[in-house]
Amino acid sequence: MHALIIDDSRAMRSILRRIVTDLGYETTEAEHGQAALDHLEGGLAPDLCLIDWNMPVMDGYTFVQRVRDDTRWRDVTLMMVTTESEHGQIVRALAAGAHEYVIKPFTPDAIVNKLELLGLLATEVPA
Amino acid sequence: MMLQGPGLTDLHAVVDEVWSSFLGHEEPLLPALPDPASAGGITWSAATSVTGAWNGVVTVEIPDAVAHTATERMLGLVAGQALTTEDVADAVGELVNMIGGNVKSLMPGPSVLSLPLVARGTIASPSDLAEVSCLDLTWAGAPLRITVLARRDAPTQAADRSARNSADTRESA
Repeated sequence: MHALIIDDSRAMRSILRRIVTDLGYETTEAEHGQAALDHLEGGLAPDLCLIDWNMPVMDGYTFVQRVRDDTRWRDVTLMMVTTESEHGQIVRALAAGAHEYVIKPFTPDAIVNKLELLGLLATEVPA
Repeated sequence: MMLQGPGLTDLHAVVDEVWSSFLGHEEPLLPALPDPASAGGITWSAATSVTGAWNGVVTVEIPDAVAHTATERMLGLVAGQALTTEDVADAVGELVNMIGGNVKSLMPGPSVLSLPLVARGTIASPSDLAEVSCLDLTWAGAPLRITVLARRDAPTQAADRSARNSADTRESA
């Protein structure tokens, strides 16, 4: 399993990387939506994208729209991980094609639970 | 005019959740009185603004030691490991981003959250902002301050007044 972590904060990418690495994922990181799209265009085929909303160059919402507009990436699971918690924004992101939405701050368990719901746990997680 | 902003209880709950989620539960955040004597050290400041139905700015001010400890924990590093200025700025910026985003959710929407601005030192507040909440805390014996400021006028009113002032200036020149 492979996760593409998209967040302009290196600290947040590190936190998310440790969580999904413990679940058996390999990871690639991007500091904004355009860099993430470049990875996809370059042939990266992640099972999961963890996507911040507010980023320079290209925000996470635009990234979700761009990915969903291209059938090459229709199997990629998209999970927003963001401080944006207005109901309207959550609805917009899900309507654009995001599968799940996690609001920062989060605990590792919150990410694990969402991945479990999505059937994306790469390994058995210790109880 | 009554300025709108989050209450101290709500603000404390937001900060506590961010701190405990990413920096651990070992050292609790404790209420503190403002300590002018602690203001002399190197301080990191970060701000993020909210624009829309509610207009304001959220700032975080923390001493160097807290900024470094927070960065180490967020990056998963061993205490004392070398950090770059960019690492610390990034981590402090993410803290204010999470606090600002959750403050935004407490206020009327819709609104937009800016990318964080981080400085080593103090960030001066624009003159059209007034403090609505200020939370002084200690963490591991070190002080930190979270402030919420709100705009005195809605953007359209401020723009109208600015235009009037500009016209007055031209008339008096």
